[in-house]
Amino acid sequence: MSASPLALSLRLRSVAYDGRVALRDVALDISRAEIVGIAGHVGAGKSTLALAAAGLLGRSLPAAIDGTIHHPLGGRPPAAFVFANPSTQLTELGETVEEEVAVGPENQALSSPLIRARVDRALALANASPLAARLPRDLSGGELQRVALASALALDAPLIVLDEPTAQLDPEAAAHFASALRSLRDSGVAILIVEQNLELLASLADRVILLADGAILASGAPREVLGHTPPLDARLGALPTRDDRGPRRLVAQIERAPLLTIHSLSAGYDERVVLQNLSLTIGDGEVVAWLGKNGAGKSTLARTIMGLVTARAGRIGVASTDLTTMPVHERARFVGLVFQDPRRQLFSRTILEEVMFGPRTLGANRHAALAQGREALAVVGLDGRESEHPGDLAPQLQRRLAIASALASQPRFLMLDEPTAGQDAEGRGFIAAALELQRSRGAAAVITHDLEFAQATCDHNVTIDSGHLSNIGRISLDPD
Amino acid sequence: MTSALDRWNPLTPLAAAIALVVVAFIGPQPWTPVVVLAVALLVAAASGIGGKVAALTMLVALPTFVLLVLVDVAFPDASASHARWVPSMASTLDALAISLRLGAAIAALGVIVVGVAPRRLTRALAAKGLPAWAAYLVIASLEAVPEARRRADDVIDAQRCRGVAMGKGTGVRGRLRALPALAGPLIVGLVTESEERALALDARAFEPGARRTALAPIGDTRGEQWARRVIWLALATAIAWRLWEFVHTLSIVS
Repeated sequence: MSASPLALSLRLRSVAYDGRVALRDVALDISRAEIVGIAGHVGAGKSTLALAAAGLLGRSLPAAIDGTIHHPLGGRPPAAFVFANPSTQLTELGETVEEEVAVGPENQALSSPLIRARVDRALALANASPLAARLPRDLSGGELQRVALASALALDAPLIVLDEPTAQLDPEAAAHFASALRSLRDSGVAILIVEQNLELLASLADRVILLADGAILASGAPREVLGHTPPLDARLGALPTRDDRGPRRLVAQIERAPLLTIHSLSAGYDERVVLQNLSLTIGDGEVVAWLGKNGAGKSTLARTIMGLVTARAGRIGVASTDLTTMPVHERARFVGLVFQDPRRQLFSRTILEEVMFGPRTLGANRHAALAQGREALAVVGLDGRESEHPGDLAPQLQRRLAIASALASQPRFLMLDEPTAGQDAEGRGFIAAALELQRSRGAAAVITHDLEFAQATCDHNVTIDSGHLSNIGRISLDPD
Repeated sequence: MTSALDRWNPLTPLAAAIALVVVAFIGPQPWTPVVVLAVALLVAAASGIGGKVAALTMLVALPTFVLLVLVDVAFPDASASHARWVPSMASTLDALAISLRLGAAIAALGVIVVGVAPRRLTRALAAKGLPAWAAYLVIASLEAVPEARRRADDVIDAQRCRGVAMGKGTGVRGRLRALPALAGPLIVGLVTESEERALALDARAFEPGARRTALAPIGDTRGEQWARRVIWLALATAIAWRLWEFVHTLSIVS
């Protein structure tokens, strides 16, 4: 550890929510100009540690803390925080992106010119300057994540704590983000980052702490901790080796019967055209990755196929059925969609009710719906938790439940929007299994920025750029 | 939302609206409410929000008038000389006067509600010392309905994706059947979201009692400051005059 002054000194004997211990015996010091990474399986206590380090636990988020948390460099606030779900970052005090980013400096009662300087710098660092005049609610998940980062940077705190900040960023934005963090570190800022992207963490962090079941399992140089063979925690997985990097699947050479057919599709919101004259065919038994920059139109394409966004022109068909003018509830027999933010997709009182809802609504009897639901839960690793409330699950498990709920309805074509965001190796394995099941029933599309997952599970990719198809081909891990 | 009122500091139209509301109630009847109503509607029209303000005014004033007339018909004065089930001229005029006053007040306040962006108003109030918690309360209250609507739309979309028939063409029975599945997650979601919002505010150095500054402070010219002083002075004079009249009337009666 360097001799720079400490930005955080944390000694926690335990942290508990409603009597349930989430962290125990954790000691963590972070110096100025240091990036410390935190890795761990889902439920390891990473977010709790991050919230504690930022000084947010025990204030607006009730928790029983036994221990001490010091921020020797002071500051108001002593730490800035970037939430895993970027919409959580929004205060609604500002109307536009620029005003939202300004909320922190406004709370610090700075003068207008100083606020302006902070906002401009934060937006530039987060690569969000072009979004300044947009409304946050109109942004894509990745764009919102950049705004969330800018909002935290505008506080100019000596310590920045980030919880899964790149989960929804495209590779280019993630690379820009990593470079921004390095320049912040070089300017003396201390950074604590929770990240499931082990490759990014290894390239970014000066040291890494590996959490397992609420305690520190290992700490040290990133490549030693994350690249350990065998992995120190199988649930988390390990850094991919060179051998892992070759394309696992070849572009499908087999002539497949077309399952999804899109012809000259155009769609958008109000005056904004998002998809323009887009044509695409996906064959029966294929799993395809939809790639593209944040805001390129990937989620809009999925919502248009589902019928949630009205097509302005063109045709959409699944197998021999024309869906173009079919209402959403009837399309649900043919296509399924898992949203980017699964929290808003879950509405039942128990996990079992949640997965049975689709089949029951589509006409399955209780016995069949139960069988379909249980099968889907087993595939995503949620069997045995049927009676729990969906709202009580960790966000990563909620995402898997949303996938199970769509899978249980047995659509011919299934679309998953950023399914691996925040997932550990175990979770990614469950999602890959869900896609394999779907492959046997029809076809699937995965909207993702997770190229390793896409390479491992998808047959090929379709790249969408500004509402057009720009490339169809083999998935490459090269940045370009 | 932008309107011609954005050229002003929001406190100036707010002061004018408050003054008009008070004058509509304490001024000579029935002409004062008529003049206030006309002024408010003219200002609204000049600001490009005439239609919305007129609709808002009618939405309140018209049902009030009808209700008051119906009450008179249903419960007539025992000494009434006119035919049963026919409203008297006097009670109709009373109903008209009350509805006019209410309509004038709604029109005056409607100009503010429709024409002034809430965030501009709270920023202007914050510059005059409104604490952060009060500013947040105003914005959160105004955002609560659209936020609930957005959340409801999300839940409805999720349910439609799983085969629930909703939206256009759905019968009353279908909508009623879908209601329980909508209400639960909507309420739970709003509670969760309010907890998240508290966390978001905490993470952004928000302190309830503290003073906030603004990225773009609202301009407040000397002319507008004087205009507001004149408005408040005129209002105080009108209230004093009305009180004096009231006391004078009492002394004559006694």
